[in-house]
Amino acid sequence: MNQALINSLGSIKREIVNFSRSQSFYLILVAMAIVLIVPPFLSNYVVSEVLTRILIFAIYASSWNLLASSGQGSLGHAAFLGIGGFVSALITIKLGVPPIFALLLGGLLSAGIGFLIGLTCVRLKAWFLAMVTFGFSVIIVTIFSELDAFTGAVMGFPTPLIADRGLPFYYVTFTIAAISIMAMYIVMKSKIGLAFKAIHQNELEAKMIGINTAKYRLIAFIISTFFAGLAGGLFAQSIRFIDRTVFGAEYSFLPLMICVIGGLGTIEGPIIGSAIYWLIDSYLPAVDGILNGLIGREGLISLFPAVSSVGPYLRTLGLGLFLLVVVIFAPKGLTPLIKKAYNYLRNSLKEEKSK
Amino acid sequence: MITSGLIQALFYGLAYGCIYILLATGLNIIFGVMKLVNFAHGQLLMIGAYIAFTVTTALGLNAYLSILVAMGAVALIGVGLERFTFRRVLGTDKLNEIFVSLGLIYVFENAATLLWGNTTRQIPSPLEGLQLSICQGIEINDRLIAILIVIIILVALFLLLKKTKIGLAMRATSQKSTASMLMGVNIEKVYVFTFALGAALAGASGALYGILFNFNPAIGALPTIKAFAIIIIGGLGSIPGAVIGGLLYGIAENTAVYILGGVWQDAIAFALLIIVLVIRPTGIFGEKGE
Repeated sequence: MNQALINSLGSIKREIVNFSRSQSFYLILVAMAIVLIVPPFLSNYVVSEVLTRILIFAIYASSWNLLASSGQGSLGHAAFLGIGGFVSALITIKLGVPPIFALLLGGLLSAGIGFLIGLTCVRLKAWFLAMVTFGFSVIIVTIFSELDAFTGAVMGFPTPLIADRGLPFYYVTFTIAAISIMAMYIVMKSKIGLAFKAIHQNELEAKMIGINTAKYRLIAFIISTFFAGLAGGLFAQSIRFIDRTVFGAEYSFLPLMICVIGGLGTIEGPIIGSAIYWLIDSYLPAVDGILNGLIGREGLISLFPAVSSVGPYLRTLGLGLFLLVVVIFAPKGLTPLIKKAYNYLRNSLKEEKSK
Repeated sequence: MITSGLIQALFYGLAYGCIYILLATGLNIIFGVMKLVNFAHGQLLMIGAYIAFTVTTALGLNAYLSILVAMGAVALIGVGLERFTFRRVLGTDKLNEIFVSLGLIYVFENAATLLWGNTTRQIPSPLEGLQLSICQGIEINDRLIAILIVIIILVALFLLLKKTKIGLAMRATSQKSTASMLMGVNIEKVYVFTFALGAALAGASGALYGILFNFNPAIGALPTIKAFAIIIIGGLGSIPGAVIGGLLYGIAENTAVYILGGVWQDAIAFALLIIVLVIRPTGIFGEKGE
């Protein structure tokens, strides 16, 4: 046992040393410097509504990504987002625990429940697991709603903050996000991550070469739900309010969408996906405004007589189409496309120089 | 009083179960032949309900004839879906099928809202106002006719699978697709036909759903999950299993609601599914995996 621990620690250390020498390490350093220095010059809206949300959902999507890297695609991750959010807010309000510890406790409790749910899931195949996790999210929201007297899930309540809204909260979120994503990166690069990959590719073969698949799938569940709970606590604080809508299917499907857009199974995928998703969501000009300009208000009403405002539905429809196009035409996500474009630009610049 | 209430619950459960059976059978055929799980199957039910609603109210067609229209239209949609989305991800990572279904759910629900609005609707039944009692508490009504229609559709499906050439090709493909390809079966054609057939069954169940219950663009999600639970209980790929599972599920659910109250309905539905999966990860009637 001790020897195994030393070995895995050694492999992690080697990984870190290798990583610090690689090119992407410098890229990440530069990116981190930018996200640390630039925000004070931006408006409060951008910092608190866009950047903070990108970070929180980068953690959340990364946690989903870690679970998916072991071949387990959860459709009920919002259960853990909600548990983390509710627990961290409730124990701060009712027991007076400082928000930062409450955040951790929320993550831990989420991981505890993740462990229990994981126990039922480790033997299931992809589709069954998707259904069962979705089912658990429905059961958990029913329980939270039934215990309304204690949880306040139906009407919702304002959440206590870890730090002041705006820049301070952004920096706290940034620190937590950096540590969490780093931790998940280390896990995915370690021997545990290798086992996840083997299980994802072929569970039977993984079993045959001596991987305890149930154990590793459970480990993936625990780590993933811990960080999902952490993200839930941060999310509840960032919108300063929590009610049972946080358990909704859209929050279960969101990490999936973010990971597919950014690139499944990679560490940068969820981060880039989260940035793309929230940038589109925040800056896509109102669709009905454009349509109003094109065909006029009467034209719009005669085209869609059934609904009073077409904007939200058209946007979600567009999101669905976008997801379909990405899955079918760019199954590795948009990150490889960005890399390709970057390499193409660099090569063409080099050629320019050599001429 | 209690017994008549219970009989009523059992009878309603049968009607519910019949709709679930149609949906689950469609899902099951698609899975059996193509090894594909379409999580957007319930959205096809929703579209079927709206198409039947439109032809009944706008064209004045009999509600029960509109079932045929809904079947045809949804089958056409199914052909398009198979051709342009699922065929492209078939055989790749299983997660991709889930992603495609998710995209389709977003597309269908929002398209339906844009076209038909998000108010609750119901298809006007030709039997409205008619009350013919055959024994205490049970009337000849839409539920009874729905049960008969489901039986007719299932018999037709059975004949299609057992007596026709395309049925034979489908059964062969479901057993071993490469071998049947070598025997001269046009796999792509079989896949298109299978998906269209599954979609048509979803369309029929949608039209029946629209006659019996209220519906809106968001109703698709829960029937999908219940149909999924049914084919898990009945065993993936087994049609008799789906029939038994559907009846069990419809009756169990309605009896549970009658006894416990409606708040826990969905949670109970999932609890059943989870309990079954914990005990038998491949379903009650399913074959042992690996």
